[in-house]
Amino acid sequence: MILVTAVIKPHALDAVREALSHVGIAGMTISEVQGFGRQRGHTEVYRGAEYKVEYVPKVKIEILTTAETADDVVEAISKSARSGKIGDGKIWTTTVDNVTRIRTGETGPGAI
Amino acid sequence: MIHLLVHLQAAAAPASYSDQAWLNTGDNAWQLTAATFVALMSVPGLAVLFGGLVQKKWVVNTMFMTFAGFAAVLIVWVLWAYNMGFGSAWFHSGNYANYKWTGGDLSELFNNFVGKPATTLSAFSLEKQGTIPQVDPGMPAFGIPQASVIYFQFVFAAITPLLFLGSVLGRIKFKVWVIFVPLWTTFAYAVNAFLLWGGGFWAHQGAGDFSGGYVIHLAAGTSGFVAAAVVGPRLKRDREKALPHSLPLVAIGGGIVWLGWNGFNGGDPYFASADAATAVINTNMATVAALLTWVILDMYLSKAKKPTFLGAINGMVVGLVAITPSAGYVNGAGALGVGAIDSCIVWLAWNYLSRVNFMKKVDDAMGIVYTHGIAGLFGGLLLGVFADPTVVEYRSVGGSAISLKGAIYGHPGQIGIQLGAALTVIIWDGLVTFVILTVMKALMPSHSLKYADDILEIGDLAIHDEEGYPDDRGATRVLPGYSESAVHSAAAATVAGGSA
Repeated sequence: MILVTAVIKPHALDAVREALSHVGIAGMTISEVQGFGRQRGHTEVYRGAEYKVEYVPKVKIEILTTAETADDVVEAISKSARSGKIGDGKIWTTTVDNVTRIRTGETGPGAI
Repeated sequence: MIHLLVHLQAAAAPASYSDQAWLNTGDNAWQLTAATFVALMSVPGLAVLFGGLVQKKWVVNTMFMTFAGFAAVLIVWVLWAYNMGFGSAWFHSGNYANYKWTGGDLSELFNNFVGKPATTLSAFSLEKQGTIPQVDPGMPAFGIPQASVIYFQFVFAAITPLLFLGSVLGRIKFKVWVIFVPLWTTFAYAVNAFLLWGGGFWAHQGAGDFSGGYVIHLAAGTSGFVAAAVVGPRLKRDREKALPHSLPLVAIGGGIVWLGWNGFNGGDPYFASADAATAVINTNMATVAALLTWVILDMYLSKAKKPTFLGAINGMVVGLVAITPSAGYVNGAGALGVGAIDSCIVWLAWNYLSRVNFMKKVDDAMGIVYTHGIAGLFGGLLLGVFADPTVVEYRSVGGSAISLKGAIYGHPGQIGIQLGAALTVIIWDGLVTFVILTVMKALMPSHSLKYADDILEIGDLAIHDEEGYPDDRGATRVLPGYSESAVHSAAAATVAGGSA
């Protein structure tokens, strides 16, 4: 089993969700995060004082999937979140030891 | 010696405004209070009402354009626009006491259309006894100074474009907005005001608009709809996800707008009179009738069948708008009727007319065409139904009671007069808005009145370098006079020094 984690631009989320539904994803978790990568931060000005703000708002997506569909999931995110500009984000995969569905106690791939 | 000098200066001022024998302190205290209430409806009332209704990324821009629009109006108001709305007729000097269009030449028509531009900056034009020259003969003499009239009318002129800001939010360029507003005040608002309040054509025809159902709300609904069409829609995503970001802000703004309306309608007799009090309680009766009607309709006829807070706010606004033309002309039963009926009409329009393709195409962000345009249109027509001739606005110099008579008191013709005034405002304001924005569009280097899509995606931060709810994590002050590397090496030196 694979955990696919992606950090994307917030307004790309709808397109990603749409693309993932075509891959047949059963569920996903999202969270609002902040961070920096190669994309530079931005400047904010309050009462004449200029601030360099390093962290950029992003959305983090986490999807548990089987090893067979993981590549499709990564591809779907990659294509749908791509604007070609700096700051589109990253996707990484990690191997998962086990998964438990809390309601039934089911474990393994059947719990995804 | 100093005392003597002061005394001499006082004596040197013209008697016409230094003696102030005409001053009624009660009237003046109420007029300034009422004006301030109305001003508070704009800032912060509409600023936080709209601010709460937009997405988080638009809250700064929304509030800012409200404040900036308010400021832009006052400048042109005192330089020329006040007198275009409330001053003397353009081409004729002398007393236009009962000046009325009799089908004469073009200059006569013009004299019935707009007043002559003039500033209101001199000591005399501020401190003299208040006067609206083209309507004076029909009214008792004012007990308030001219400055009170000018400021009271300013806060109405200011709130009107701010209402239809709601139609163009979330895309119009800041610069376009602050240029458009004073132009609109000059060419649209001043004409509306003169036609109905300043002694123009519809004032002489006996059209009633107590506090601006037509001059303000129908004007805002019409102009907002046309402006939204010319400026173009928001981002598709912003239209589809136009969720309000803060209902508590809406509650604060909505509450200020409601109670601020006590000044809006209560100040319009220009006297702290019985009719002022009637207008205040009528305003609140129509508002609760409309609010509850909207909520009941939501509970029994909407798809979700649930009472909603934002539905109540819509109903509240509709009631306030509905009673505005007739607040001081109807009795209490009339006020309840006006609020309940108008709320039904606007509820139906909001839920069904909005499904018509033409209405869907125009991105009127806050639905101002419904809650102000349609609500104001029918509010004015309902005056023609419910106006009670025994509700007396004031007694003229001759002692005769000034009131209006609606259809249920045997004067159905009042409805026709109201409709004529309404159509004039719809056509003129629609035209003026279209022409100003179309010309501005042609003159803009980008030929666009709205921001580019990549700016719209970000909102406040891209336009103003500010956001509504800034986060200090990761923020570093950029000190003036230091380059970024200098700041960093200075910080590093401090750390190094500290650990040594």
